Amino acid sequence: MPRYAMVIDLQKCTGCSSCSISCKTENNVPEGIFWSHKITETSGTFPNVRFHYIPTLCNHCENAPCVRGCPTKAMHKLDNGITMHNPKKCIGCRYCMFNCPYGVIQFNWQDAHGSWKDNTSLIKGGTASPADEVRKVNSKATPYYNPEREDTLTGIRRRGVVEKCTFCDHRVKRGKLPSCVNSCPCDARIFGDLDDPKSQVNKLLGKFKPFRLKESLGTSPKVFYIRDFSSAGYPSTKGGI
Amino acid sequence: MKLKIWIGLLGLGILLGLITVYKVYSAGFVLYAKTDVLVWTLPLATYIFFSLTSAGLAFVSSIPTVFGVKRFEIMKKRTMFLEFAVLIGSFVCLIMHLGSPLNLFYYLFSPNPASPLWWLGMLYGVYLVVLVIAFKALIEGKSIYTFNILIFLIAIATSTTLGWLLGMTDARPSLDVSFLSMYFPFTAFVSGLSALLLVSIAGNYFKGQKVTKEVNDLYGEISKTLGIVAGLVLILFFWRTVAGGNSSTGQGFLAFKYMVGSISYNLELWGLVIPAVLMLTPGIRVTNWGKVTAASLILVGMLAGRLEFILSSEVMPLGQMAEVHPGFVGYMPTSSEFLVTIFGLSVVLMVYTLGDCYLKLDEVSE
Repeated sequence: MPRYAMVIDLQKCTGCSSCSISCKTENNVPEGIFWSHKITETSGTFPNVRFHYIPTLCNHCENAPCVRGCPTKAMHKLDNGITMHNPKKCIGCRYCMFNCPYGVIQFNWQDAHGSWKDNTSLIKGGTASPADEVRKVNSKATPYYNPEREDTLTGIRRRGVVEKCTFCDHRVKRGKLPSCVNSCPCDARIFGDLDDPKSQVNKLLGKFKPFRLKESLGTSPKVFYIRDFSSAGYPSTKGGI
Repeated sequence: MKLKIWIGLLGLGILLGLITVYKVYSAGFVLYAKTDVLVWTLPLATYIFFSLTSAGLAFVSSIPTVFGVKRFEIMKKRTMFLEFAVLIGSFVCLIMHLGSPLNLFYYLFSPNPASPLWWLGMLYGVYLVVLVIAFKALIEGKSIYTFNILIFLIAIATSTTLGWLLGMTDARPSLDVSFLSMYFPFTAFVSGLSALLLVSIAGNYFKGQKVTKEVNDLYGEISKTLGIVAGLVLILFFWRTVAGGNSSTGQGFLAFKYMVGSISYNLELWGLVIPAVLMLTPGIRVTNWGKVTAASLILVGMLAGRLEFILSSEVMPLGQMAEVHPGFVGYMPTSSEFLVTIFGLSVVLMVYTLGDCYLKLDEVSE
């Protein structure tokens, strides 16, 4: 059984957010919720400042605190290492959100895709309402609804349960790469099997010193970061007093 | 007439609560001060408050059996029924916190014994069943010795498991399990003593009931114990502030540092200081106003304290949540959240009042 992991090459990542967009459409993620997100930071003092961008998603931790804490096993591990959620068993206690050190689990505070239920046209008799658009394509909830998501998870998660990234387990099951990996124009995301010594993931982890988020907590995340982008150089110096 | 007005007020509280139930489950949890940072707020804090108060009442009701102090026997029935009423109130608040309470049956069909939350749910389920059976036996005049021991043990288990539940979160070090598993049983006891003292004295006053010397002496004893335990809790509270809110340089304690000095923190602090002083001053301790003031302040302080505890681990966003939120997220409960608390309190008082009317809570079993 494979043990899936992702490497994110920060030198290649341009911060275009196509991963977040493709994730949203692939997984029918509602407004206000991000399975794929980012942490941005600035360092230095003006005019010597620098911008850092770290893409984030569920880390599919080996020792996942969310899985350990879930009282009904709604949050559980698959044999391939993916941390999966079953909304049908979720009681909406949000203990997983409380336990997750990475802030990557989110709660459906209200019905998903509510704006697409609106019957109001922008120009009466001139434009279609959001609800008309959904009806026109005979879709569920949104015009861009992806029915393939239903293979392994409820297509649209109901109000009162949590949701998070699943490494696109429904795609992986069909031998496809996760949507964020597939759509990355810079090939900054590399997905593969940690148990396969020849996998691209292992090659990169052997070549560059990786880091993981909050490693000290012992959660053993399966999202690794390598390299960092900097086009800048500087003249050799020992500083001064 | 007084009783009818009282029942009417509680009925209004329950009605408002039921309207809130309808609104929350039809419009969604947007009616709460929802953010993905503050995932646990006042409804859960009220649940913790009631559940720990219930555990505290269990400690009090076990005193004659477990510690052999037979004087407490005269209040056993009242204490046990209040314990039951408070437990029901806690369940009401818990349901109002859960996003999908209808899925609770998965506790049985898909259990996760690694989860403290699962243990807590199971313990409370067993607690309710045992409590109902024990109370029924008490009414029928049967011996409840074994049940009392069991209730005492379950109360220790629930209050300490709650400490494990919050303390398990490694990413939120201000919630330390070794501290909480000590702090929660102590604060539970102080809440239980206060709740019993308050409802008993208030009940006597409104019913115009003359208190026997035996009962009055017991009130005095409870008050003195209340003062001592409040003082002990205050010492724990002080060292928690010094260790986490002041000395620690850890980033994980920043949320707690933010909460030190907040309204809920001050309510908890003064809700311990003033009652401890009042109940350890003999001249004030003998007065009814002193007892009622101390008990009321402790209960308000404890409720605020439960909220402060949760917030002291939450207000600083973790991970990617920091991207879309300020460094610290402020919290003010919404009207719906306040109504959940009022709902829970109204249910507790309604159940207790009805029990007081029909179950002869002053009777002592042979």
